[in-house]
Amino acid sequence: MSGFWHTGRLQLGAVFRKEVRQTIRDRRVMFLLVVAPLIQTVIFGFAVDFDVDRVPAVLVDQDRSDESRLHARRVLADQTLRHAGEVAGVAEADQALDDGRAAVALVFPPSLARDLASQRPAEVQLLLDGTDPNRALVASGAVSRYFGEVGERLIRERLEAAGRPAPAQVVLVPRILYNPRLKTAPYIVPGIAGTLLVIVTTLVTAMGLSREREMGTMEQVLVTPIRPIWLLVGKLLPFLVIGIFDVLLLVAVGSWVFEVPLRGNLLVGAAGVLLYVFTTLGVGLLISTASQNQQQAFLGGFIFTMPAILLSGVMTPIRGMPGWLQVITWFNPTRHFAEVMRGVLMRGAGFGDLWFQLAFLAALGLGVMALAVSRFRTQLG
Amino acid sequence: MQERSSSAAGQPAIVARDLRRRFGAVQALDGLGFTVARGELYGLVGPDGAGKTTAIRALAGLIDLDGGEARILGLDPARDGAVRERLGLMPQQYSLYRDLTVGENLRFFGRLATLPAARYRERAARLLALTRLAPFVDRRADQLSGGMYKKLALSCALLTEPEVLLLDEPTNGVDPVSRRELWALLHEFVDGGMAVVISTPYMDEAERCHRVGLVHHGRLLLEGPPGRLLADFERAGHARPTFEELFIDSIGRAA
Repeated sequence: MSGFWHTGRLQLGAVFRKEVRQTIRDRRVMFLLVVAPLIQTVIFGFAVDFDVDRVPAVLVDQDRSDESRLHARRVLADQTLRHAGEVAGVAEADQALDDGRAAVALVFPPSLARDLASQRPAEVQLLLDGTDPNRALVASGAVSRYFGEVGERLIRERLEAAGRPAPAQVVLVPRILYNPRLKTAPYIVPGIAGTLLVIVTTLVTAMGLSREREMGTMEQVLVTPIRPIWLLVGKLLPFLVIGIFDVLLLVAVGSWVFEVPLRGNLLVGAAGVLLYVFTTLGVGLLISTASQNQQQAFLGGFIFTMPAILLSGVMTPIRGMPGWLQVITWFNPTRHFAEVMRGVLMRGAGFGDLWFQLAFLAALGLGVMALAVSRFRTQLG
Repeated sequence: MQERSSSAAGQPAIVARDLRRRFGAVQALDGLGFTVARGELYGLVGPDGAGKTTAIRALAGLIDLDGGEARILGLDPARDGAVRERLGLMPQQYSLYRDLTVGENLRFFGRLATLPAARYRERAARLLALTRLAPFVDRRADQLSGGMYKKLALSCALLTEPEVLLLDEPTNGVDPVSRRELWALLHEFVDGGMAVVISTPYMDEAERCHRVGLVHHGRLLLEGPPGRLLADFERAGHARPTFEELFIDSIGRAA
């Protein structure tokens, strides 16, 4: 048994050193592994912004009264809408939406001030560009909220003028936890780290092993007395180390540039990183066992990473997906990693809060790695 | 070249018996069989696509056979991992790490073979001296000439001083001087008792082997010491024949 470990230490060390040497010497791979994730995190951190504000809005003020001008000023005041000009009529407003000059058109009727003064219902029309549903909903909500408040205020004023008590009121006092300013970057950066990591680790592993097969070097290694397990561990270990380094780097940059908080137990985060990279390396290995060359490995990696990113909940909420698709996302390691990292970094979550995600990641990792190792050993055998 | 035979040298170190292997529509090996004794250099000679590489890969345990039996030192190379400690292989294609230096490649394969440091140093120094690669120890493999690269590949295969050495077209693309040096090296190790199978498409190299097997379509057409094969051919009415003529005649008769 001691011979097994002694031999293993020598052979594992040889493969590990060789991999590190080759990786460091290959500037393109080093760029892909370290620099590219860093640049992409910074770019995505700035570029991906779910905050909907300054939606361009044109105004059709058919009333042209002090009252209508007051409402126009106030509805634009909270910055959800941005004044993009005034047009003469509904047809011109339609044209502005068609041209893309505006995403919202507010149409005040000719009798707005008169109707309000005579306590008749006034109808303000809102035209919305629904191409971006989220933007349309946010803009619609902002206008509805404003005119809702206007209606409430009018009722209260009239009741008071009539000497009657104002109706009971429920005042909502929101207190936003974890991300009080509702900034997108602290939410998106941990997820982006997961998506970049899945690309880097899966592709590099799949292509690296396929390259050995394609170049014939694997054959030369296979006629040596090396045990498949040491060959495998030696090849994967450097990328596990690089993956962990990448996460540390991205979290540091996220914290420094995007104010991503570091609230939770970092050991839980480290466990998540370890299990996640273990899983993605397993996927890379599995892809390599099904690939004859680097081109096939790249395609295989692409076929895996694209859905893994789209179904991770990083860009779009999983709750918005159909039920059957939500079930599939449970088998997506990127989903669990993003939840663990967001939980640890933003909510200060501990092991008790994230044990399910960690357990699922561990099960996924062990399952994928066992399958990949079994296929790898069969091929070597 | 002095003639040797497997029977003369005792128990064969390499046994290929009725090897069969098909790749799709191609029958790469169609009942190929030969034996090689310790201290014998056996040449598998034939044109491209004859089945030489498949035979070498089967003997190295790198592919499964559809039929037949391959034995290295009495062991099944596809099943028994112990073979790898006694076997050296130099594949036809470039199979070393081209982004590593000569020294790094040697060290890597030395460590995979778990050679003790002192023994590795002694063997590496000897091989580097024999192959005259010592001045290039820090040069990357992809910056070596074809001949130097082949010598490095041979050195990596010889690091463990294997009892059996399989060489797949080692002189392919190598200049005449380097070819001669490679053959000289090989004979030095064969004289030390190593059993060697070498595949080559060059008929002129057949004469450097103790015995040759002429291979075509995965079958052995003719086998024996090169001198005797040529003498028999000459007796059959061919004046001063060459191996090329002998081979073409054999193919014609087989067809």
